Amino acid sequence: MLIEILQQTINGLAIGGVYVLIALGLTTVFGILGIAHFAHGSISMFGGYLTFFLVTSQGLPVLAAIPVALATGILLGLLVEMLAYRPVRHANHINAFIVALGLTMMVEGINLQLFGHEQVVIPTGLSRVFRFGGITVPELRLYVIIAAIVLVVAMMVFVERTKTGQAIRAVAENRDAAILMGVNVKSIPLIVFGISTALGVAAGIMVGALFAIAPGIGEGFVVKGFAVLILGGLGSFPGAILGGTVLGITESIAAGFISSAYKDVIAFVVMILVLLIRPQGLLGRTP
Amino acid sequence: MSSRTITGAVAALTIALTASSGFAAEKKLTIGVADALTGGGAVYGLPQANAVKMAADEINAAGGIKVGSDNYKIDVIAYDDKANPTEATNAVRKLIDRDGVKYILGFCCSGSTSAVASFIGNEKAVMLVGNAAERSITTKKIPNLVRTRPPADYTGQAAGTFIARKGHKRIAVLGALDVGFYAQYVDAVEREVKKTGGEIIAREVFSLRDRDMTPQLTKIRGLNPDAILVVGYVEPAAFVYRQAVELGMNIPRYGFTSGSEEQFLRVTTSEQMEGVWDLRPTELTLLSATKNGIAYHANYTKKYNASPSPSSPYAYDQLYVLKAAIEAAGTVDDTVVVAKAIRGLPVPPQVVMQYQPVDGKMFDVNGQAYTSNGAFQWQKGKWVFVEDLPSDSKAYSQFLSTLN
Repeated sequence: MLIEILQQTINGLAIGGVYVLIALGLTTVFGILGIAHFAHGSISMFGGYLTFFLVTSQGLPVLAAIPVALATGILLGLLVEMLAYRPVRHANHINAFIVALGLTMMVEGINLQLFGHEQVVIPTGLSRVFRFGGITVPELRLYVIIAAIVLVVAMMVFVERTKTGQAIRAVAENRDAAILMGVNVKSIPLIVFGISTALGVAAGIMVGALFAIAPGIGEGFVVKGFAVLILGGLGSFPGAILGGTVLGITESIAAGFISSAYKDVIAFVVMILVLLIRPQGLLGRTP
Repeated sequence: MSSRTITGAVAALTIALTASSGFAAEKKLTIGVADALTGGGAVYGLPQANAVKMAADEINAAGGIKVGSDNYKIDVIAYDDKANPTEATNAVRKLIDRDGVKYILGFCCSGSTSAVASFIGNEKAVMLVGNAAERSITTKKIPNLVRTRPPADYTGQAAGTFIARKGHKRIAVLGALDVGFYAQYVDAVEREVKKTGGEIIAREVFSLRDRDMTPQLTKIRGLNPDAILVVGYVEPAAFVYRQAVELGMNIPRYGFTSGSEEQFLRVTTSEQMEGVWDLRPTELTLLSATKNGIAYHANYTKKYNASPSPSSPYAYDQLYVLKAAIEAAGTVDDTVVVAKAIRGLPVPPQVVMQYQPVDGKMFDVNGQAYTSNGAFQWQKGKWVFVEDLPSDSKAYSQFLSTLN
């Protein structure tokens, strides 16, 4: 029994890592700009598709394709902010909401046109399996978990220890006060979208390598990402990390010990139960 | 005879010839294809639609469909039903109401096909179902519907006998068990396995979009089964096979998926697939194929630059069945007569699948065709046909007739 629990936890950590990265991107945008960026999932999957294209059609090694995809992700984030969200920044919230929905459909359509309707799996060549007692950990999953941890730590260091990170936090806390303190608030949305999209692209690459990317997959991940946001507490970085990990492990344990048929349902029931006890989420602040 | 008369006669003959050849060239029969061209079902639907177009090109190149003195060239309109019941209903309504189509082919997936089957009986159209394996599609005695693929439990019965013969007593199932025909396949396997003292010890589920099967597999691993049976669409099934190896599950793996080598290798490696069994109708693989099958495989690969999926000939065969029936009926307009002619046909010589006729006819009284069933095993990168799975099409046909 203990081995099964540990194995299910390891299983859940990999997918949990993906949820964390998606949720961190969403929470950064939502916490600072107040935008529910629904297109985040589709853009993340674009990153996965791009990596697949670079590896299979251009012959790049995976380790070379990943930085190219991440850099493209940052650029794409900047474009999304400038062309889609900036024009409606001072308008009613419903405008940004509609833009987000439209952008989702547009990116899905672009993915379909550029990469086709077939599912794709990013070839990594990583097929070894490590065994620790009765627990097995595929090499690829181990690297995904490690990569997710590295990215999360890097993000935390950036936000907590750098001047730009402090400026982002200041704008999130109180935009007017940040202006008075001399923070260049005009550049913050650009930086936020760049980081957010790069994290999403990293998640898309992980999904493409571990599982597969196909049209419509991104929508499912963005729904899970918002669920993590609510579970962890809106706008909270530690909340997104805890929420994503909890959701991934809960799904895995629920499928293993209760029923695989209700895997998603059980995960969301847990989320509702948490919110009944802590309406602000696991690590959210009381309003 | 004056030169004027000769000139007039030549002119009249020229006009007559021109008119007659022009008239013959205009004969066109538009047929419809409703199938999953995108989405999860596209692994079955797109190759089916391609197969129908290829058959149409072949028939057209050979002169078309002969009805009396007329030759009909086939024109194909294909709509994407996304394997979704609402989309399928819309696609078929569009084909019948807007495009005036009388013959509709394709239909890879059971949910969408069942939705169309529920109203096709009221239409002046003939529906030829391909890969969709839900049993109830041919239990409703719909006179203008036939199906080229046998129902799932017909194959499940043969598969159960095979698994039992291998001596496995504790079998764990992982599959799309919320889809009726997969559940019917597993039920049939269970009935056969029980006869030799075996049992199904777990029925774990995945959905069409699931790609992470490790929670279910970890649970199954904890139960120490003798073998695992995987039933479902190719893509999720491929992930099950891959992740079972990653979890160190070194037990026999059986499946009911009908995926091509190319489709599996998009997800898994050949090493991860080694030894997997697929217990399914004797569909297309080069090692089991007849002369028609080998030609079909070569032509399809050349035309579409991809290997055909094993189940795609179900749709290819539909068009040759339709051609034979129209030629036998002598009409393209009277769908009732054509539907009746289909049921009276012997197996046309051009078909790819190896059908087992019932009372000398390709389709039984339910409109159901039967192929033989086979055990295929993945060996060094290929599905290898290992043996026939004994199947009694006549007995199953009688059983099917008793159902509503």
